[in-house]
Amino acid sequence: MEFFILLSAGLANGGYYALIALGLVLIFKAQDMVQFGHGEVFMIGAFTAYTVFAVVGWPYLVAFFAAVLAATVVGMIVERWLIRPIAHMPHMTLVMVTVGLSFLLKGAARIEWGKDIYTFPAVFKSGPIVIGEVVLMPQQLVLVAFTLTLSVVMYLMFKYTALGKQMRATSQNMTGAQLSGVNIGRVFSSTWAMSGAMGGAAGALSAPVLSLLFPDIGTFILLKGFAAAVLGGFGSVVGAVVGGFAVGVMEKFVGFYIATALEHISAFVIIMLVLIFWPKGLFGKKDVTRV
Amino acid sequence: MRISAFFETRWFPALFLLFLLVIPLTTNNYFQFVINLVLCYVLIGFGQQLILGYAGQFSFANAAFMGIGAYTTSIIFTLNVPILIALMAGGLLAALVACLVGLPALRLSRVYLALATIAFGEMTTWVLTHWNSVTKGGDGMYSPVPVFFGYSLDTDTERYFLIAIVCFVMVMIAQRMLASKFGRAFIAIRENEMVASCNGINIPLYKTIAFALSGFYAGVGGGLYAIAVNYIVPDNYDLFQLVIHFALVMVGGLGSMYGVIVGALVLTTLPEVLREFQHYQEMTYGVLLILFIVFIPRGLAGFLKDRRILPREILVHGWKEEIPHVREAAKTAAVFNVGAGAEDRGEEH
Amino acid sequence: MAVDNVSMNIDRGCIHGLIGPNGAGKSTLFNAMSGLVPIKQGSICFEGVDVTHLPVHLRAPRGIRRTFQHVQLMEDRTVLENVLVGMHSSISTNPFKSVFGLGAEGSPDKAAREAAREVLQFLGIGHIALTEMGGLTIAEHRFAELARALVAKPRLLLLDEPAAGLSLRSTEALDTLLVRIRDEWGATIVLVEHRIDLVLNVSDVVTVLDNGSIIASGRGQDVIEDPGVKRAYLGVDEEE
Repeated sequence: MEFFILLSAGLANGGYYALIALGLVLIFKAQDMVQFGHGEVFMIGAFTAYTVFAVVGWPYLVAFFAAVLAATVVGMIVERWLIRPIAHMPHMTLVMVTVGLSFLLKGAARIEWGKDIYTFPAVFKSGPIVIGEVVLMPQQLVLVAFTLTLSVVMYLMFKYTALGKQMRATSQNMTGAQLSGVNIGRVFSSTWAMSGAMGGAAGALSAPVLSLLFPDIGTFILLKGFAAAVLGGFGSVVGAVVGGFAVGVMEKFVGFYIATALEHISAFVIIMLVLIFWPKGLFGKKDVTRV
Repeated sequence: MRISAFFETRWFPALFLLFLLVIPLTTNNYFQFVINLVLCYVLIGFGQQLILGYAGQFSFANAAFMGIGAYTTSIIFTLNVPILIALMAGGLLAALVACLVGLPALRLSRVYLALATIAFGEMTTWVLTHWNSVTKGGDGMYSPVPVFFGYSLDTDTERYFLIAIVCFVMVMIAQRMLASKFGRAFIAIRENEMVASCNGINIPLYKTIAFALSGFYAGVGGGLYAIAVNYIVPDNYDLFQLVIHFALVMVGGLGSMYGVIVGALVLTTLPEVLREFQHYQEMTYGVLLILFIVFIPRGLAGFLKDRRILPREILVHGWKEEIPHVREAAKTAAVFNVGAGAEDRGEEH
Repeated sequence: MAVDNVSMNIDRGCIHGLIGPNGAGKSTLFNAMSGLVPIKQGSICFEGVDVTHLPVHLRAPRGIRRTFQHVQLMEDRTVLENVLVGMHSSISTNPFKSVFGLGAEGSPDKAAREAAREVLQFLGIGHIALTEMGGLTIAEHRFAELARALVAKPRLLLLDEPAAGLSLRSTEALDTLLVRIRDEWGATIVLVEHRIDLVLNVSDVVTVLDNGSIIASGRGQDVIEDPGVKRAYLGVDEEE
C-alpha cells in the first residue's frame, strides 16, 4: 500500500516540477539557452499569490491571476531590457547573465521578505480527498490537471502554430530566421512572457502545496526543474512532463526505501547520472555532447 | 615610467614578499582577518579561474572543492599531522575529486557541464552536512588551531604568516605553470579544441590536468580558509559561495592572474563595505555580475592592463628576452612587410 | 559521402596542389589527413606507417601540421604565444622541466622561443611577435598561423587556402616562401587553393577534385587543359 501513497505523493510533486521544466524547455526551444533565473520567476509568482491571498485577503483566483501577471511582466521586462540588447552575444554569456539575474531577483525579494519563512494557507476549505490509504489535497489535483493541460497546449503550439515554428527556427539559427522574415523581437517577447506566465502559475499553484515559502525557494525549485528537464531530454515538451513526474516519484521512493535524507538530493543525483550516462535523456533529440 | 613597469621589475616578487611580511605591523585585528580572507580567496579564486578562465570549461564545482579542502585539512589535522601536510592533503583530495568531476567534462557541452557540476556542488554540501561521523554534520566543526613547529598560531596575525607564505609560494608556482606549455595548452583548448589537438595537445589529458590543478588550488585555499575562520559549516560551501567565486573571476577578469588578485580584493572586501546594507548583498552581486559580463568582459584586470597600470601577462617564460629581437625585426619590417599597412608594431619599452 | 574513391600519392619534398570546385571535398580530405574525420574505408600511410586510426593529437608530433580555411588563432594572445602552441609536442611534458626548468635544457621555453624567432624571421613577421592578434591584419594572421604550423619543422604541411584574403603583394610573398619551405626546410606541402594562379605557380603536381573524386592529376599545365577539369570549372572565374 505504501506504493500508492508514495506514487501519488510523487506525482503530486511531479506536477510542479514538470511545470518548472516546461518553462525552462520553452526558453531552451526558442532561444537555445538555459534560464537560470526561472526559479526566481516561480518565487515571484508564489510570493505575489501569497501577498494577494494571505495578506490582502482577496480570493485565490484573483491571487492566481495576479501572480501570473506579475511574473509575466517581470519576464517581459527582463527580456526587453536585459536579454534583447545582448541577444547577439554567445549563448554562454546570456546564460551567465541569467545567473546574475537570479541573484538580482532573489536579493530584491529578500529586501521585502528577509530570511523568514511564510506559511501559505490552504485554498480549499474542504479537507483532503481520501482514497483508501492515499491522501490527496485538492490543490494537488488542480496542479496536476493544470500541468497536463498546459503541456498539451505547449506541444500543439510548437508543432502546429506559426509562433511555434518561428521559435524553433530562431533557436536553431537566429540570423537565418531573421533573414527569412521572422520578427525576432516578437519571438523573444512571447517566449519570455509565456515562460514567465508558466513560472508564475507554477508558483501560485504550488504555494498552497508547498505551504512554506521563503526567498531561497527559487534555487531549490530550479534544480528540481533541471532534473526533470534533463531526465526528459532538454528540448522536449513531452520529456519535461514525463521527467517531472518521474523525478517526483523517484524522490519519494528513494526517500522511503533507501533513506529519508536522500530524498532531497535525488534530484541532483539524477542530474549527474543522466548527464554522465544518457545525456540525451528520455526524449531528447538535441545532442548534448561535444561536437 | 608606466606604473606597470613597476610590477614587471625583476625584484618585484621579493619586494612584494617583503611588503606582505610587513603588513601586520599596520593593521588591527579585524583588518588582519579580512586580509587573511583575501589571501585565501586568491587561491580559491584561482581554482575557478584556471578551469573557467584559462581552460574554458564551464565547471562550477569550485565551492565544493573549497569545502572538501576545508574539511579535509581540519579533520586530518586532528590526527596530529603537521599543518602543511594537512593542507596538502586537503588540496590533493580536492584535486582527486576534481578529476572525477572532470570526467564527464570530456563529453558534455557547456550548459550541461555547468548543470552537472552545480548538481555535484549541491551533493557535496549534502554529504558534508550528513556525514555526521566525520564532519560533525550541519552544526559545523572547529577547524583546529594550527601548530607550526610546536608554536601554536592563535591570533589572526600569527595565522597570517602561514597563510601569506603558502599563498605567495603557490601563486609563484601558478605563474610559472601558466607561462609554460601548460598555460598555453589550456588557452588553446579554451579557444578551439579541434585546433588544439591538431597542434599535438592531448585534450583529455590536459583537461584532466586543468581540473586537478583547479581542485588543488581551491582545496588548499579552502584549508587556509578553515584556518582563518576557525569554525566551518557545510552550508558555507553552497551555491552562494560558488557565485562569489564566479563573480570573483568575472569582476577580476577571465584568464588573468592579476584578475584573481583584484577579484579577491574586491569580492572579499565587498561584504564589509556592504555591512550596512546586508539586505542588498545579493542584489549587488547580481547587478555586478550582469554589469561585468555585459560591459566589462575583460574585468578590472583587463581595464587596468589597457591603461598600462597592470602589465601584460604573456604566457611565455622569458618573453622579455624577445624584445630586442622584435626591435631588430621592426627595422627591416619597414622594408619588407607583410600585409596592407606598414604600421610599426615594434614593442615599446 | 564527401570523399569517395580518392587515391593519392604525395611525393616527399614536393608541393602538391589540390584544387576543385566548392564542396568537392578538399577540406574533408584535409580533415581526414588530420584525423578529424573518421575514414570508413581506406587507409592513410605516412612515411611508411599506417596512420589511419592515429588519434589527432599524435599526428602533429609525427610531423603533420596544417592551417585552416578560416584562421584559427587565440585572438587575445600575442603572435609568440600562438606560435609556441605549435611547439607543444616538442617541449617536455615533465612539469619539473617544462615549468621549473630543472634539467639540462635550463629555461623551458628558451629553445622554443628560439625556434619561434627563427620561423617568424623567415616569414618576415618577427616585428609583431609580441603584438596581440586582435590588432593585426588578415595577412599577418595567415602568416602567424603558418608560423605555428612551421615552428616544429613539420615534414608534411597541409595548407587550407593560405592565400584567401591576401593582397597581390602578400600572395607573391607567400609564393616565394612556400618554395623556400620546400627547398630549404625539406617539407612536403599540400596546398588547397581557389587561386589557380598561385597553385600553378608553386605546385609540382596538381590534383583536381570534383564531387568527392579525383578527376585529374599531373603537371599543372596539363591538368587545366583537361576537358573534364574545364567542365567542372565551367562558369567559375579562373582569373583573379
